Amino acid sequence: MAATALAFKGLSRRFGPVRALVDASAEVEGGGILSVRGPNGCGKSTLLRCLAGLLRPDRGTIAARERGRELASDERRSRVGYVAPDVAFYDELSGRENLRLYSRLRGLPPGRGEILLERLGLAGERPFHAMSSGMRQRLRWAFALLHAPDILLLDEPFQNFDAAGERAARELLAERLAAGALAVVASPSDVALPRVAGELLLGG
Amino acid sequence: MKRLLALSLWLWMAVVIWAAFHWAPLAAGFKGESSRILFFHVPVAWVSFVAFMTAGVESVLYLAGRRDPRHDRSAAAAVELGQVFAVLATVTGAIWARIMWGSYWNWDPRQSAIVVTMLYYAAYLALRQAIADGPSRARLSAAYAVLGLVVSPFLYFVLPRLGFSLHPEPVINAAGKLEVESRMLAVLTASSLGFTVLFYWLHALRRRLGAVAARRDEGVE
Amino acid sequence: MSSSWAAEAAAVFVKDWRCELRTRHAVATLALFALTTLLVASLVLGPIGNDAEMSRRVVPVLVWLIVLFAAAAGLPRAFVHEEESRTAIALRLAARPSAVFAGKLVHIATLVAAIEAIVAPLAVALFDLRVAAAAELVAALAAGGLAIAAATTLLAAIVAQGRGASTLFAVLALPVLLPALALAVAATRVALTGVAEGNLLTLLLLYDGSVVVAGFLLFPAIWNP
Repeated sequence: MAATALAFKGLSRRFGPVRALVDASAEVEGGGILSVRGPNGCGKSTLLRCLAGLLRPDRGTIAARERGRELASDERRSRVGYVAPDVAFYDELSGRENLRLYSRLRGLPPGRGEILLERLGLAGERPFHAMSSGMRQRLRWAFALLHAPDILLLDEPFQNFDAAGERAARELLAERLAAGALAVVASPSDVALPRVAGELLLGG
Repeated sequence: MKRLLALSLWLWMAVVIWAAFHWAPLAAGFKGESSRILFFHVPVAWVSFVAFMTAGVESVLYLAGRRDPRHDRSAAAAVELGQVFAVLATVTGAIWARIMWGSYWNWDPRQSAIVVTMLYYAAYLALRQAIADGPSRARLSAAYAVLGLVVSPFLYFVLPRLGFSLHPEPVINAAGKLEVESRMLAVLTASSLGFTVLFYWLHALRRRLGAVAARRDEGVE
Repeated sequence: MSSSWAAEAAAVFVKDWRCELRTRHAVATLALFALTTLLVASLVLGPIGNDAEMSRRVVPVLVWLIVLFAAAAGLPRAFVHEEESRTAIALRLAARPSAVFAGKLVHIATLVAAIEAIVAPLAVALFDLRVAAAAELVAALAAGGLAIAAATTLLAAIVAQGRGASTLFAVLALPVLLPALALAVAATRVALTGVAEGNLLTLLLLYDGSVVVAGFLLFPAIWNP
C-alpha cells in the first residue's frame, strides 16, 4: 500500500436535473498523476471540487492517505493543494499580503510565501485586483503549494500562463511528485502531463 | 388500514365538533357562546407549536446524521403545514379577541407568540426559495431551523411579556378557569388529539409528495 | 494544522479590517444609513429628550431601529462579498470553520460598536437626552450590539450562499433578533429613565451566549458543504 494515495468510487453529483458527475471512480498513488479528460461540462471541475471537500457528492466514497495517515474529509480539505480558475484572492491585498494571510492561517512561517513568489517569478507588491490573469494564475499556484501538500488537485492549472510561468509551475509540480505527492489534473487533451499513472475519461 | 384510520379521524372530529357545540358547557366570564371557539383555537395553536418543534428536531437530525434528505423533506413539510395552522390560530384568536375585548389585535402574549412563529415560518420558506441546489438548501434551512429552536425560548417566553398590552390579565387566567370543568377539558383534549393526528397525517402525505417530487426532479435512475 | 485557533481567528479579523480600511466600504455604508435616519428623526422630532414621556416611549425603540437598519444595510457584506468574489474558496481550504466564525464575529461586532459609537452620542446630543444611568446605557448597547453581531454573522453566512442576499437577510434576521431587540429597547429605557424593569440585561446576555454557542456548533455546517 502506498503511503500517499487517493481513491474514489462511484462519485455522483447533480444540480437539480443536471447530472454534473456520474459514477466516477479511480485511484492514484504518490508520485503519479491521474489525468482527467473529457468534453466541456462533463464534470471535471465538479469532480475536483468533491475531492477538495468544496462540494459534497450525492453518492460515492473518497479515501485519502497522506504519508501513511488516513485523512478524514475535513482534514483532506485542509491538506490538499487546489488550483482552479475560480479561486480568487483579496483584491485590496498584494500578492505577498495574501500569501502571508494564508501562511498565518495554516500556521506556516512567512518565508514559505516568499520562496514561492520567487520561484514563480511573481513580484509580490501588486494588489490582486491589478494583477494580470497570468500573474493571478502564478499566485494560485503559490497558494496551492504553500503548505507543501502531498495531494494536488489541479483544474486547468496551466491556463493563462505564459511560457515562463508554465515552466516554473511544471518545475514545482515535478518537485512535488518526486517528493512523493500525487496529483489529479483536469486539463484539455492537448496539454502534456508528466508521470501519468492513469487516465479518467468523463463522458458527456 | 389507511382507510380505516382516515374514517376514524373523520368520525372523531365530527364528534368533537358536535361536543364543542352541544355537550360542553359554556365557560363563565365569556361573552355568549364565544368560549366554544377555544375548542378549535387552542388545538390549532398547539399544533403550530408542534410543527415548529418537529421542524427543529428533523433539522437537527439532518445536520447531525448522514444528511438524509428525508429529514429535510420532513422539516420543510412541517413548516409548510405549521404555517397553515398558525394562520388558523391567528384568525380564530383575533375573532375571539374582537368578541371578548372589542379589538382584533392587542399584542396579548399569545398573539405575539403566534405572530413570531408565522414570521419564522415565512423566513424559513423564503430561504428555501432562494437556494437552488438541493443539498445546500437542506443544509442551510436546517441551520436556520436549529437557530430558531435555540432562540424559541426567548420568542415564546421573554418576548410576549415585553410587549405593550391593553389587557393586563393574560389569556391564561380565562383558560385557567376552563380546567375546572371536566367536560370542557375532555372536549379540549379530544380536539387537540384530533388536530395533532390530522397534522401528522397531512405531514406524512406532504413528505411522500416531496419524495415523489424529488424523484421526478432528478429523473429516476 | 500547526496554527493555534486563536491565531487563525486573529488572522481572519486582521484581514477583514485591513481590507475594510483600504476600501472603507462597510463603514461608509453604516455611517450613511445611521446618520441619515438619525438626522431625519431629529429633524422631525426635535429635542424630545425634554419630554419625559416621549423620551421613555419613543427614544429607545428609535435608537435601536436605527442601529438595526444600518446593520442590515452594511454588515451582510462581510460574507456576501467573500462568496461573490470567490475568496471564500481559499478561506475554506486554509482556515478552520470555528476560526472563520470567531474572526468574522469579532469583526462584525466591532462594526456594530462603530455604528453605536456614531448613533448613541449623536442621539443624546440631537434629542437632548437625559441619561439617568450611563453605565446601564453602555451595557445595553454592548449586550444588544453583541446580539446583533452574533445573529448577523450566522445569517450573513447563510444568505451569502443563496440569491437576493440583502432582502433575504432582513427577512431571516427579524424573527431571530426580535427578542434581543425588545430586551435591548427595554434596557435602554431603564438607562434613560432610571426605573428598573427586572433582569433585562441578564436575559439579553443569556440570548447572546445562546446564539454564540449555537453559532460555533452550526457554523461548520453553514460554511462547509
